[in-house]
Amino acid sequence: MEYYSPTELSEAYALLSKYGDAAIPIAGSTFFMGHREELFNEVDAVINIKKLGLSYIKLEDNILKIGATTTLSEIFESGLTSQGVYKILSETVNELNIYEVRNMATIGGEVCIAGEVDMPTTLLAYDTNIVIGSNDGTRVVSMADFHIGYLNNALEVNEMVTEVQIPRPPANTGGGFRKFKRTAADLPIVSVAVRVSLGSDGACEDVRVVVGAATLSGIPQRSAAAEAVLLNQKIDEALIKQVAEASSDVECIDDFRVPAVVRSLWVKCSIEDALKKALAEAGKGE
Amino acid sequence: MIPICLKVNGEDCPVQVKAHWSLAFVLREKIGLTGTKTGCEMGTCGSCTILLDGKPIFCCLKMAVDAEGHELTTIEGIENDGVLHPLQQTFIDGHGMQCGYCTPGMIIAAKALLEGNSNPSEHEVRLAIGGHLCRCGTYVRIVKSIMDAAEIVRNT
Repeated sequence: MEYYSPTELSEAYALLSKYGDAAIPIAGSTFFMGHREELFNEVDAVINIKKLGLSYIKLEDNILKIGATTTLSEIFESGLTSQGVYKILSETVNELNIYEVRNMATIGGEVCIAGEVDMPTTLLAYDTNIVIGSNDGTRVVSMADFHIGYLNNALEVNEMVTEVQIPRPPANTGGGFRKFKRTAADLPIVSVAVRVSLGSDGACEDVRVVVGAATLSGIPQRSAAAEAVLLNQKIDEALIKQVAEASSDVECIDDFRVPAVVRSLWVKCSIEDALKKALAEAGKGE
Repeated sequence: MIPICLKVNGEDCPVQVKAHWSLAFVLREKIGLTGTKTGCEMGTCGSCTILLDGKPIFCCLKMAVDAEGHELTTIEGIENDGVLHPLQQTFIDGHGMQCGYCTPGMIIAAKALLEGNSNPSEHEVRLAIGGHLCRCGTYVRIVKSIMDAAEIVRNT
């Protein structure tokens, strides 16, 4: 296994092209080192991408841009993501109660892993775009198209994620993130992110209800039925219950950790909670 | 083999490593600092916690080659000229352990907490050791030891 620590993006791309399938870009290395037994035999080249200047959080043209190697701690602490319209990002990080992992894990890694991590669930609710770079240039893929299946994404062999772009949500938008886990170090059993944008009349103008971690598909999924219940409606307690019930269109996974029926129930509870939180944040609600 | 120089507890440690070696392995087996423990080696038990530039990390998930150029602090490095760190002393006095295997990781995580906040609530202490498992279940005394140490740190 060869180790590279390039300082130029072009250098990193050249290495990705050279080694193809057998190369892995790393930054926090938490996933790579945590899955060493499965991964070490498959990898010929480790490319450390931390020196490429991809650690930043900035607001440009009403788009929040987060570099791929920005750690979860940096997102938790940054003024741009710990308050205001993007506060949901630090709230999502806060649900991971392992400071040691927060100091290492990066948003680029979380996005690529797809499944059993928190951030993609929230990012999908905020219509995030993923910027992908390679020797052939850059391309942008929406979060909805980026994830293909469990531990599977839209990256070609010579590509890597360089940036995450989150458009500024409209005024009167609130977000809520909820998660079920057994212990602080546990992977999420259920995670849910809700974003609600209210119109001037107080009705729900735009909404995303996203279920992560619990899904049968292994990737975060929007609940079309739950969103349809909310759209253009004034939200009250009865409607919130209806939304939670409607979320059963997202099929939950049945495994040794938790049976699907329990996960479905927890998804409903989480949606109720997250929706109430989002409403409160949107400045109306209860 | 890749030649690197790690800065551990203020001392330069030149060492030859393979790309896939974890920092935990190198600290213990190549540099001989066995105070840092390895438990799960997949980032879920917390026993390998060290400070990297003052921030706690799991060194089982860190590649040794990637640790070059950073200040590393292990459990061996927190005493001062033979005087134990308040955390080490209160863990002894309050018996904040049973078998002691998780103790180095707990103390390092607590040290990171106390450097930023010397007056933590019990809840904040529990959050700071959120990623740490004590298989003997002595959490109550661990939390008390950290609270006691915080008091000593505040008063000195």
